[in-house]
Amino acid sequence: MVTTLVQAVINGLLIGGIYALVSIGVTLIFGVVKIVNFAQGEFVMIGMYITYFLSNQFGIDPLFSLLVSMPVLFVTGMLIQHFLIRRVLGENDMPQIFLTFALSLLLMNVTLLLFTANYRTVHTWYSDESIFFAGLSIPVAKLIAFTVAMCLSGILWLFLHRTDLGKAMRAASQNREVAMLMGINPNWVFAVALGIALALAGAAGSLLMPFYPAYPMAGQVFVLMAFVAVVLGTLGNVVGAFVASLMMGVAESLGIQFVGADSGLIVVFMLLLLTLAFRPSGLGARRS
Amino acid sequence: MQSGRYLGLGLFAVALCALLAVPYFVTSSFAIDILIRILLFAFIGVAWNLMGGYAKQLSLGHAAYFGLGAYTSTLLQVDHGISPWIGMIAGGVVAMIASLPIGWLCFRLRGPYFTIATIATAQVLMLIFLKFRDFAWGAEGTTIPNLGNAPWMMQFEEKSAYFYVILGLLVIALGVTYWLERSWVGYYLMAIGEDEDAAEAIGVDAPRMKRYIYATSAFLTALAGTFYTQYIYFIDPATAFSFNISIEAALVSIVGGIGTLWGPVIGTVLLETTSALLQSWLGSSTGGIQLTVYSLILMAVILWRPTGIMGFVNELREGRSGKKTGGS
Repeated sequence: MVTTLVQAVINGLLIGGIYALVSIGVTLIFGVVKIVNFAQGEFVMIGMYITYFLSNQFGIDPLFSLLVSMPVLFVTGMLIQHFLIRRVLGENDMPQIFLTFALSLLLMNVTLLLFTANYRTVHTWYSDESIFFAGLSIPVAKLIAFTVAMCLSGILWLFLHRTDLGKAMRAASQNREVAMLMGINPNWVFAVALGIALALAGAAGSLLMPFYPAYPMAGQVFVLMAFVAVVLGTLGNVVGAFVASLMMGVAESLGIQFVGADSGLIVVFMLLLLTLAFRPSGLGARRS
Repeated sequence: MQSGRYLGLGLFAVALCALLAVPYFVTSSFAIDILIRILLFAFIGVAWNLMGGYAKQLSLGHAAYFGLGAYTSTLLQVDHGISPWIGMIAGGVVAMIASLPIGWLCFRLRGPYFTIATIATAQVLMLIFLKFRDFAWGAEGTTIPNLGNAPWMMQFEEKSAYFYVILGLLVIALGVTYWLERSWVGYYLMAIGEDEDAAEAIGVDAPRMKRYIYATSAFLTALAGTFYTQYIYFIDPATAFSFNISIEAALVSIVGGIGTLWGPVIGTVLLETTSALLQSWLGSSTGGIQLTVYSLILMAVILWRPTGIMGFVNELREGRSGKKTGGS
């Protein structure tokens, strides 16, 4: 019983690392640019397809394809900010919500048209390996994904706290007007924020590939998790989103273990609704 | 303004008469099916627009009410033999009641996070209906017993009868919108839509107004759920709580013109016609093409015409008359 519980918690933490990459992106965009990117999950999906094709065509290991998927999505993020999102920033919610929502629909359905709904998988030498330890089994692919995700989150934290651009980004998310008065160029900061967020989503896609199939709707699960984690962790708070993502992973895993295989999502949505009911401004937050 | 209003009503009367006559000319079952779809989604769009358009509470979870309406009437009909006409109203009431706790939760968040919360509620309802099998047939769903021509059970042999039912519903929903646009309720809602804090500062009870309009919107959406189930003789959680319904409700309103009387209708005509044409050109085998085109239209509207087609039409009209006229 205890072993089962610990095993479920470990499984949850491992997948929670991936959720963290996605939700850090969502919360970073929300904090800095003040929009919710409904298409974040689709960039995970694009990261997966990039990794799949690199592996399929050139035999490149998913871990090395990070070096392609992250830069490609970074540039994509900057372009999306420049050509799409920049045009709808303003007082009104409607264009912001539905622009990224339309982008999400578009990316999913174009992928469906191009690559069909078939599952694409990448099999690596470590896909089926597990480390056995005190009655627990830890899948190597998930462990690698988790470790890389932690490193990337750490690098992001350092970037936000140690570099001028990172500090400018945090300043812009705390108070955009004052940040602009201090000489921060919002367009540049916004573009970099989008770029980083999408690069993280791409990384999540690459890391998932050894143990998760790519298909046009693959991003949906991750973006839903990310939305919940971002609310739980207080909107715009990167550390909050990170912690909440790990919690979400554990909650989902416990749900699957103890309630039933198809109940993971119910647990997650219930968590969201309970959070809204009792702590609408996030778990660690002062009420505003 | 006054003459414009009578002109509008006159045009509406003419259009209604033309629509009433349509089934006498259109005999192709394919064509009448498309017309019914247009009226159905226009109706759902008008219901969505009451809350999404005027109070600017952008829900992507209206499938919750569509599904609740569909399931209420079907459960009443299949288990208790109660006519869907009664079940339809019952479904509307169930949706209204459900909108209270759902609204209580979701209205705690504003803007995009309100939207996400509404998505979550619709998904939770779908998962509940999928999971608890003994409650309502689970994932397999059920077919509605076919009684042949039974008008009192909302079953007709002629498709044209369904056409008149949904046309009637659409006229009612448009009537509600028309009344709303001219009443204090509408002004309060528009004030909330413009700036909720400012509206509260001048004494608008925003939470209460949002509750009312959400309940109204939910009621109407639930009627569409019953109608659709009766029309296709089948119900399962994936159809009844389909995310596509939530999407289309918002989409037709935005493309046509958010917060306008005719916006959702015009948006539906455009989108559904496009969709039907695509289907007849490409066949139904190409999954994804419909939503690809929808999302491109949506992006184009948002980037170039955020006020939708109605906004464009109004601009043209104002440009010609050379003065700014209020209303829509």
